Amino acid sequence: MGHTPELRVLLFAALRERAGWQERLLAAPAGATPAAVWRQLGLEPNEPDASIRVAINQQFASWDSPLRAGDELAFLPPISGG
Amino acid sequence: MAAPLLAIQLEPGPFQPLLAMEQWQAQVQERMGHLPAAESSFVGRVRPHTGAGEPLAALELEHYPGMTEAQLHHLAAEAANRRAVAAVLVRHRVGRVRPGEPIVLVAVAADRRGPAQRCCQELLEALKHEAPFWKREWRADGSGLWLAGNTPL
Repeated sequence: MGHTPELRVLLFAALRERAGWQERLLAAPAGATPAAVWRQLGLEPNEPDASIRVAINQQFASWDSPLRAGDELAFLPPISGG
Repeated sequence: MAAPLLAIQLEPGPFQPLLAMEQWQAQVQERMGHLPAAESSFVGRVRPHTGAGEPLAALELEHYPGMTEAQLHHLAAEAANRRAVAAVLVRHRVGRVRPGEPIVLVAVAADRRGPAQRCCQELLEALKHEAPFWKREWRADGSGLWLAGNTPL
């Protein structure tokens, strides 16, 4: 049996405060995607809003990107810079 | 043509845009041996009121350490290469910023005014929407509200 892929999941700003945590280590099943992790963590809403973006290892990625052991996965609420 | 000179920096405390521009101009002068003919710059400051029109105590800027810097660099390189400009400066505040304080500075040096002005505007718009920053408005009563977007252009 291979080792369980462990992900580091980060939340920012409004998402962090809504969920009540900033960072979690998570054992995710092989082939997990950001969309599956979102549901596994019970984040709300159950079907994430289109304005929420995903970053894998600090690069924008899609909700169905395959995740690998050791990845840093971040869920990003709507950006407001400048 | 030489790769554009990119100077990108997050500012954890108050900064002076004109001083930052002088330092940047000295770097460009040293690197190129002269200053390009055209320079365009933008300074953004915190408004004294919230989006809802109430007095604002402060604006809090959260970022994603590592990704924010990398993404600013990527956006600056993309805009600089698209417009073939010589040098780009970005300073962006993080943390708690008071009304009237500078929050962002973008400056671009190029051989001609068109590329300098277009690159400055394009990079400003890009970083407002594509660099991971989040603003929270703090009111005088201690309540805070995360913003879900930017003011219109």
